[in-house]
Amino acid sequence: MAKPITRRNFIKGSVGIVIGSAAAGLSAQGEKKARVVLIRHPEAVEAGSRFNAPVIQQMLDEGIGALLNAGDPAEAFSRLIKPGETVGIKTNVWSYLPTPAEVEQHLKRRVIEAGVAENQIGIDDHTVKTNPIFQKATSLINVRPIRTHYLAGMSGCIKNYIMFAPSQPALHPNSCADLGSTFNLPQVKGKTRLNILCCLTPQFHGRGPHHFSRRYVWDYNGILMSLDPVAVDTIGLELIKAKRSQVLGKAKELPPVPKHIKLADTKHGIGVGDLDRIELIKLGWQQDTLI
Amino acid sequence: MKKHILLFCLVFIFFCEGNPMTDVYRSLPDRILEWKAGEGDVFYDRGNLFDYMDGGAEVYLAFDFRRVLVRKFHRPGGEEMTLDIYEMGSSAEAFGIFSCDREDEEAGIGQGSEYGFGLLRFWKGSYFVTVMTAAEGEDVDRAVLELGREVAKLLGPEGPEPAILGMLPQDGLRKKRISYFHSDIHLNNRFFIAPENILKLDRETECVFAEYGPRGDPASLLIVRYTNQQKALEAYRSFVAGFMPEAADTGIIRMESLKWTQIRIAGDTVAVVFDAPTEDFARQILSGIKID
Repeated sequence: MAKPITRRNFIKGSVGIVIGSAAAGLSAQGEKKARVVLIRHPEAVEAGSRFNAPVIQQMLDEGIGALLNAGDPAEAFSRLIKPGETVGIKTNVWSYLPTPAEVEQHLKRRVIEAGVAENQIGIDDHTVKTNPIFQKATSLINVRPIRTHYLAGMSGCIKNYIMFAPSQPALHPNSCADLGSTFNLPQVKGKTRLNILCCLTPQFHGRGPHHFSRRYVWDYNGILMSLDPVAVDTIGLELIKAKRSQVLGKAKELPPVPKHIKLADTKHGIGVGDLDRIELIKLGWQQDTLI
Repeated sequence: MKKHILLFCLVFIFFCEGNPMTDVYRSLPDRILEWKAGEGDVFYDRGNLFDYMDGGAEVYLAFDFRRVLVRKFHRPGGEEMTLDIYEMGSSAEAFGIFSCDREDEEAGIGQGSEYGFGLLRFWKGSYFVTVMTAAEGEDVDRAVLELGREVAKLLGPEGPEPAILGMLPQDGLRKKRISYFHSDIHLNNRFFIAPENILKLDRETECVFAEYGPRGDPASLLIVRYTNQQKALEAYRSFVAGFMPEAADTGIIRMESLKWTQIRIAGDTVAVVFDAPTEDFARQILSGIKID
């Protein structure tokens, strides 16, 4: 069993991401690999932090194609979504850094093209538990921006499902360690077809009452995507760590304390949190990729 | 409509309680330069703070948070500026929530303040206040600071800082970097030690964290006062076992970083020095702690 990380071995640099590995005894140490695609484009974010819709849509199409080895977006989405399904797009409406509408609407368009009636597609965040579309959804798409979080360390695709939980505060103790359990809730289990972590303007550190400060947001112009929520968050955390190390210094590289990501693998079994078992495909703009 | 009725009821209850924030609320400015207050001030207490800030509420609930008033201001063009006035259980608690997140320059407002990039934070008496906007520009800075100054005038008498700060050795102390808190949530954000709560911190523990020496490479001192000696002893053992098991006998160790960590227990108090450049420096800091 790997030794849990402390300040000692973290500063020493002798560990990878082993936070939460105290529960590693529950891990399925198989050979399963997860694929994550990172796609970037220098014009995805324009002056004034406006999003360039055509560029972002092209990135989504190209990235999903690479993720699924599909020839075109229609083929890719036809593998994810079947005609006649009911689809919930779990977005994030946090006012300081919401899921871009440009991303939501493009996903919706592709789902319609895959044969889903428009009135059978929901885009929601806070009311997914009671939203009729989400209650009868046969497939879910999980999409949100990446940012740090005071309790959980990082808000990514795993944390995005906290709105499905019967009690959100019940998931807060111990640095939100059990966020991965939300993927095993009846409303969710086995339904997530795609996880998208928007890294267009990531937030790598937080201040103030809502843990937001514009000084800690930068234009990265990227999108991460995977079929695996744990793998995409694991790579996302590497990005946050790299940026924190660059700006805040090595001692503050780790946002405290993102143990829920590893535990989503080792305890809740919803994906792959081991970097050695994640295949990262990098497409597009490569400048200052950081990971 | 339902929401408006609820807000009205909350404001009504607030006034009927004879709440100490009532006078503050009645005197708050409706306008600061070109910024006008919108309708619908909102109050949150311990029971519904999650409605305002989701998981971030835990940061306040780990202190003796009582309630917060939120007033939104807008200027032509629609940009928003948010005023939050947090009523805490004591001035020590107000200082605590302020002290856990300091990065900017002093703004000269209240008993302690800072301002940068559209975020003003200050404390005075039992109140902690933030003014925040995403708008940019010198006129924005002016409005944020002016609102802060106006609010500070309304907050009544100043209050004492936490008594535990008096235990800190003064030689080399970086006073702007002192933090006071109770739980591991704040410790790990201030200074990551371990993912588990190996010092057994909770809402009853009193913690002060301070830095000594050069800004870029300081040594750190954490003092924790527990509710009794037994709890302090358990925490001491837990920390040594989890963080520095090789030093179970001596309480001092040279870390992989080549810096020194030393722990000491005295009655209900545990103190740890981290990242001291020399063994003598660690001992000097610990020996300077003023224990009753």
